[in-house]
Amino acid sequence: MQTFGLTVDQVSKTINDKTIVHPFSLRIEPGEVVALCGGNGAGKSTILRMLVGILRPTTGTIQLNGMSWEEQRVDYLQQIGYMPDHFSFTAGLTARETLEFYAALRNRTAEDADRMLKAVGLHDARNKRVSHFSKGMQQRLLFAQAILAKPALVVLDEPTNGLDPYWMDAFVDLVRELRLAGQSVIFSTHQLQVADAVADRAIFLMNGQIVRDDTIDQYQEQYGNVGLYGAFAELVSRAHA
Amino acid sequence: MHINLIAKREVKVGFRNPWAYSFMALFSLFSLGLLVIQSQSYMKGYTYTTGTMLNLILYLLPLMTMLLSSFSLTAEKEEGSWQLLSTYAMTTSSFLIGKYVGQALVLIAIVSFGYGISGVAGLLLGKSFAFSTLLFLLVFSICLILLFLGIAMLIGALCRNRWQALTMGVSIWFFYILAWPTLLISLLSFVPYTWIKPLLQIVTFFNPAEFVRVYSVTRLGGGAIFGPEYYKWIYWIDSALGDVCFVALCLLWISATLFIATRAWERR
Repeated sequence: MQTFGLTVDQVSKTINDKTIVHPFSLRIEPGEVVALCGGNGAGKSTILRMLVGILRPTTGTIQLNGMSWEEQRVDYLQQIGYMPDHFSFTAGLTARETLEFYAALRNRTAEDADRMLKAVGLHDARNKRVSHFSKGMQQRLLFAQAILAKPALVVLDEPTNGLDPYWMDAFVDLVRELRLAGQSVIFSTHQLQVADAVADRAIFLMNGQIVRDDTIDQYQEQYGNVGLYGAFAELVSRAHA
Repeated sequence: MHINLIAKREVKVGFRNPWAYSFMALFSLFSLGLLVIQSQSYMKGYTYTTGTMLNLILYLLPLMTMLLSSFSLTAEKEEGSWQLLSTYAMTTSSFLIGKYVGQALVLIAIVSFGYGISGVAGLLLGKSFAFSTLLFLLVFSICLILLFLGIAMLIGALCRNRWQALTMGVSIWFFYILAWPTLLISLLSFVPYTWIKPLLQIVTFFNPAEFVRVYSVTRLGGGAIFGPEYYKWIYWIDSALGDVCFVALCLLWISATLFIATRAWERR
């Protein structure tokens, strides 16, 4: 029987004898939004890069809607939209040309790209060179690239870096729309208020290990209004004790 | 499908790259220089002037091709563009072939423009290249571009950044273009005399600049300048299947370099 959603089973990553991510398992249901939280070097980006096939796990398996990257690479990748953390757009292309290129790679039309430019508020700037864009505008374009083909799993690495408060709110709304459409989302963030606002679940990582994985409601029950901040403060103090 | 998309993007980006216009200006000046050199020659076929022109093209075009194209590939790695593209269902070979085709179109456009400028200038000054000479120089240049583009793809696959690509590109250029004859003479002095001729014939296959030069000079009727060591090369170039063999050799070189580049890219 085919299992829908993302299933990660005992995945780990070791590079040059150093364990970057300790073995972990994870399940994300269709329409679920999961936030990966933790300090720098906690292993958030490594996990996301393994999910999208950029890095191969040292151990374990990853399956999306019953398909694995190893065995059904093309089908697996067609169900994924990825927004990397460190990225520079190709100089010389406009926003429209850039998004149309990525749309064509996913067999989508120029109209799809145009619609997505409107969704992220870049339609008026569509004929400007991307190299002239601010960091926030580039992030929005990168986000549009990740979601334009309506993938089953959207993987976002620090999606709100460089966004102003208005676009931070707009990002939350767009992720809620993805959830309503039944798309799963996993994103890494340092901004706990974003995780609080949009995620169903938050996973805390420390030194490549999952130290806590609970729903937002559970964090709020335990820490009240401070929610994720309370959990983070407790984990940090426990680590330094 | 993906090859087409990558190639189209490469052409677009290539023509909006200020470096492409710098090289276009340089190559236009260069081809005007060739026109001045050619205006001193009144003989047909292979002459000292033709040899000088071919050598000058050999100095400039391989280096230009290797730098422009290997930088284009390393930029994909440095900017994170390849990592994002690898999350799309695209194969490495589609990506590299697309880059190859796009870069080839941009570079061929640059040299065609350069020769076009010198052709028009020659007509206006009344000292024009013969059409056959212009065509010959263009075909010679295109062969060099297509062969050295394969090497550029390999450099781009092996190097992590533009500085590494610059070092490797200049080293290969130095080895293939500047040091080749001196190195050959030095190395062949260590082998028994009877080995020199066959070795020389074999190693020529491994230097695209050299075999394009031998082919071009021979087709112009100047094969004798290479001496008896190259007799077999001249013999097959002048044979009925000479052109076919040369095209096959070029295709083999391009396929081999692209294949190795794909493997190297995947291992990285």
